[in-house]
Amino acid sequence: MVRFKNRYVLCEVLSEDPRCRQCIEDRAVGLAVRDAIARAHGDYGLGCCCVSFTVKYLNAYTGTVLLRCRKDFQRLLCSALPLVRHLEGRGQRFPCALRTLHVGGTIRTCQKFLIQYNRRQLLLLLQNCTSEEERHSVRQSVLSCSLAEEQPQSGEEEEEEEDGAETD
Amino acid sequence: MERAEPPAAAYERRVLLSAAQHCYLRVRLELPDGAARPGAPQLKQLVVAALRELHGEVGAALPVDVLAYEEKSLSAILRVVSSGLVKLWSALTLQGFYQNRRCAFRVLQTSPFLLALAGNSRELVLD
Repeated sequence: MVRFKNRYVLCEVLSEDPRCRQCIEDRAVGLAVRDAIARAHGDYGLGCCCVSFTVKYLNAYTGTVLLRCRKDFQRLLCSALPLVRHLEGRGQRFPCALRTLHVGGTIRTCQKFLIQYNRRQLLLLLQNCTSEEERHSVRQSVLSCSLAEEQPQSGEEEEEEEDGAETD
Repeated sequence: MERAEPPAAAYERRVLLSAAQHCYLRVRLELPDGAARPGAPQLKQLVVAALRELHGEVGAALPVDVLAYEEKSLSAILRVVSSGLVKLWSALTLQGFYQNRRCAFRVLQTSPFLLALAGNSRELVLD
């Protein structure tokens, strides 16, 4: 009743062009999503969703984006995400797609999901490795993020996970 | 303590709220600047454009029909799915221009039943 509830949408940016990675910035992604909402839901949708809309977390290496919106307008936002077709940055346009991974009520639940998801992705990468060095480096990453028996406080830290997302 | 049950009613009246599939609106377009009067297709295009501006592609895809249109008095009867009544009415309210001239939509009557639009007690003249 008293507080404003938010929904955090975790997405992944899929693109065939490898140069798109440099273009992934929070402002570019925010503008692209805002345009998509304006096209799909008009002035009313734009006004509703952009009250509390920000890009909370962005990882250009893995293409992970965390968006925030009000709980009441989460459906408007989620229905407009598949309509994002281009990302524009530095005068260049790259075709891309946004895939929704998880919708959570807090950043913490999204972080938990992201840790598990990245662990599964690492195992998939291990299977698809082509060269021996890649295999070695992926194996190191997998070992570093698993629980170690000897240490009493085993860190469940994922090495790709950033911790700058908790600040507001 | 048990209460005595009321006697069985002779008739039963059921009221269903929002059970109708469509909502009907009687609207009138006001063009004070003397612009060219729109025909029926132009009116439908104006309504869909208003929906697209306020509610986007999802709003423009709302099934709206112009059932009757009188070009002389610029009044029309529109039909819309019941769930889209709020979207249509708000879009009509905020539509201010037709071919770069000021215009306004006045909603005269609205009802889930088409027959109810036949009589309007506001225009009733008592002798």
